Amino acid sequence: MPHRLHSLNMQQEREKMSDLLPRRADVTVIGGGVIGSSAAYHLAVKKIDVVLLEKGDFASGTSSACDGLIFLQSKKPGPHLELAMAGRSRFDDLPEELESDIELRCKGGMIIIERDSELQAMERFVEEQRKIGLEVSLLEGYEARELEPCLSDDVTAATFCPLDGQVNPISLTLAFLKAAKSRGAKVFSHTPATGIELRGGAIEGVRTLRGVIRTETVVNAGGVYAPQIGKMVGLDIPIVPRRGQLLVTEALPRLLSRCLISARYIAAKYDSGTVSGEDRGISLEQTENGNFLLGSTREFVGFDRRTTQYAIQRILSDTTRVIPRLKDAHLIRAFAGLRPYTPDGLPILGKVRSVGGFIMAAGHEGDGIALSSVTGQLVAEIVADGKSGTPLEPFALERFFPPKQSEGRKAYERGKKA
Amino acid sequence: MHRKKCDVAVVGTGPAGLAAANILADHGLLVVILDENARMGGQLLRSLPWGGALSRPDRLRRVGFDLTDRVKDKKIEVITRTKVLDIVEGRHLLVEERQGRIAVVEPRVLLLATGARERFMPFKGWTLPGVISTGAAQILMKNYGVLPSWNMLIAGMGPLLLVLAGEFLKNGGKLISVLDMGGAREKALMLTQGLHHFSKLSEGFLHLAGILTSRVPLRLRTTVVEARGGTELEEVVAAGIGKDGAVIEGTEMIYRTESLAVGYGFTPNIELAQVAGCAIDHDKTRGGWVVRVADDLETTVDRIFAAGEITGIAGASKSLHEGEMAAFAILRKIGRHVHSDRMARLKQKRHRHLRFAGYFNALHGLPPRAVLSVPDEVAICRCEDVRMGAIRSAVMEGHDTPAALKRALRIGMGNCQGRTCAPIVYDILSALANKQEKTVSILTARGPVKPVAIRSFLS
Amino acid sequence: MKDLRIPSVARGKKIKIFVNGREVIAHEGESVLAALVAAGRRTLRRSHRNGEGRGAFCGMGVCYECLVSIDGRPNMRACMSEVEEFMEIGIDAPKEM
Repeated sequence: MPHRLHSLNMQQEREKMSDLLPRRADVTVIGGGVIGSSAAYHLAVKKIDVVLLEKGDFASGTSSACDGLIFLQSKKPGPHLELAMAGRSRFDDLPEELESDIELRCKGGMIIIERDSELQAMERFVEEQRKIGLEVSLLEGYEARELEPCLSDDVTAATFCPLDGQVNPISLTLAFLKAAKSRGAKVFSHTPATGIELRGGAIEGVRTLRGVIRTETVVNAGGVYAPQIGKMVGLDIPIVPRRGQLLVTEALPRLLSRCLISARYIAAKYDSGTVSGEDRGISLEQTENGNFLLGSTREFVGFDRRTTQYAIQRILSDTTRVIPRLKDAHLIRAFAGLRPYTPDGLPILGKVRSVGGFIMAAGHEGDGIALSSVTGQLVAEIVADGKSGTPLEPFALERFFPPKQSEGRKAYERGKKA
Repeated sequence: MHRKKCDVAVVGTGPAGLAAANILADHGLLVVILDENARMGGQLLRSLPWGGALSRPDRLRRVGFDLTDRVKDKKIEVITRTKVLDIVEGRHLLVEERQGRIAVVEPRVLLLATGARERFMPFKGWTLPGVISTGAAQILMKNYGVLPSWNMLIAGMGPLLLVLAGEFLKNGGKLISVLDMGGAREKALMLTQGLHHFSKLSEGFLHLAGILTSRVPLRLRTTVVEARGGTELEEVVAAGIGKDGAVIEGTEMIYRTESLAVGYGFTPNIELAQVAGCAIDHDKTRGGWVVRVADDLETTVDRIFAAGEITGIAGASKSLHEGEMAAFAILRKIGRHVHSDRMARLKQKRHRHLRFAGYFNALHGLPPRAVLSVPDEVAICRCEDVRMGAIRSAVMEGHDTPAALKRALRIGMGNCQGRTCAPIVYDILSALANKQEKTVSILTARGPVKPVAIRSFLS
Repeated sequence: MKDLRIPSVARGKKIKIFVNGREVIAHEGESVLAALVAAGRRTLRRSHRNGEGRGAFCGMGVCYECLVSIDGRPNMRACMSEVEEFMEIGIDAPKEM
């Protein structure tokens, strides 16, 4: 009997809530993936009145179609790595702060090296990382196997960073959302932003199918859809989807404690000189539940989220070479995620000069999870203090439109808004 | 990768697939018929590996077994122990062969006859070893001549409970009781359904007669409340239920038993049809989510046909007829002449089957809100141990679609890929949100639709 | 323990298989599950979530509860695998078993 009443009450409650799209908000975050939810959370913590709009289910896009690697080692030495390092320590506090089991596991990560050409490239990479202050060491093959006995002899060397780790990306996203809500943020799924209203080059409101929200600040956390949001304010945002396919095995007893990516993956990302022919980088992670996540691919196929026979074959072939025990496992799921790729591999963050109140927080490509916390933090700093503690020039949208074109750019944008 | 061409590929060697393959081969087409199991026959045509069957088959089964024999003799390539993983390149089959390698079957026309699987109403302790499905009990006895246990309690909903009860008794088992959630009214109404389905009814009544004469208690409007034991099943708590499926306080009874066989009806195996892009519909009269087919059994995807339980749960007779229909429709599709009378007659038969099915499924469908009486601590997703309470909380927090629940709780991310839990989750959602089942958007299926050995991908 | 095999059925050749190292009688043509049930072994594995014992449920390859190791290969469905002479089956029951 009690349960039946329960279900009727629940229905009435939800019907009431659905009417409550607010008439105004100080900040409107567009995008309910890990970046948007982190932004909403960090804004709510600073007691800023925030509304989050997600066009589908929460975490239904890229944030639920990725692995959970938090890899400092894979960040390009320079502003990228610095940003990641700035955010890394926050992760340790997150489970308690968000009151949620996000399956954080930080036993370190390895970049595995299988050939000499990779070794040379990695030696250089490690040197540059050390200069910035990242604690990373180069291991011999046998040392790598001491840490992870399941690795085959194919692994001739590896780099190791004790700060690297993994998290459950969906749990993380939903945890940010829940914590944001409990601190006053209002979040709405199945509510796409259909337009942004401007006046005099500054934001006035966000349109949805359920009404207009008066707001002066918009955070574009649209991921691969960020360009569509950008168009609403006359901006060209150079983010394109890059497909990454991932395979999932059944839950297995603990075999691998740390997460792995291959040197080829790094090379493919930053130094196409070392990669000949097609891209065969791999990533391996064994989740808290015991499933292996095996990846990946880097394909430009528009918004096609299908998996391909070729990739499945290739990923299985390459990953079982590194962990032969996987040959006895079963593939239970294959999926593909669209990562928001930018031409220089750095995310697009910060205020956009030409549109008042428009803040970019997108384009993290394969680093969204690792940079989610620090991104949310700096968005909140920008809103609360006018600027973030971290210098954001290297991440500015304007970097894609060099100064000498700026007059033409302004005219172009004016023309678009008219 | 090994590739094999043929005229028609038939997925499933149950009555529908066999009937279709038989006719197609008669007309000289190159047919490949596939099944994941070691032997043909699907869920209905069960036989021992060493020849013979445990009991004399009824008329329908005799027809089915004849088909099995005929299929073996004809020029049909029978590929058993082979999983179809995905539909690729339009209507080609990506398969994992028994030898442990991936191959592609390229038919000109595809017929999906993937049948149905059982559905379940969870109860406390349903994951204990010793709690099995009625299908598992049937398979052990009829496919392998092994009793599931010495004594058994049977419970659930639907006429198959009696069928299993009769067989268990005949094979020397001690049947403790049969507990049926349905009432006397359903049984009586079945009687009035008429001669058309005489064979189905007669089998049921023979079993009923057998049970009554052996003085095994048969309780109606009774459900399992809990299965208990240390590490394996030792006793079952049952109770009476009202018309709405809610337990009536004070009617609890305890049965000591090491084995409980439960069955609550069926749900179609539509996963392959889904990955092929075929439209599906929710139709309560046909047992739930089924593949949408035209009058001639073609799906919404060109040259993909569907036959049998996946177009609607209605038993072997419909499957046989639909298999025949699909074969003739396929022949027509590829330009062969088929007498329109023939098709008209088969369509008529099909309509009668569907009418009976409608009645049958309506009578034996689980009370829609019964699932809400499942206590919070009961696992709904068995693979990942996700409990009713967690689902209720997640729905309250706004995760009110199967996809959202899957993301939030991991239901459907285990080995069974949601086959056991998804039908229950759909019922929970439609009951909690007071929504019609057809508005609950079901989980999308993606290849591989069955777990596949990684080794099979490595050369 | 009396065998659950139905006496009236004429079976294939008797073969030896091993369950956790112990010799068990089976017949050619039986599924691994049928042989295990006939030998009284119903708890086949432990849930990776809570360690509870699990055994066969659906019997037809859908539920993935009856997972055992066969000749060293883990997570094989007992109901969908056929016995072979000298097959080594590993079941992972909780300590009490």
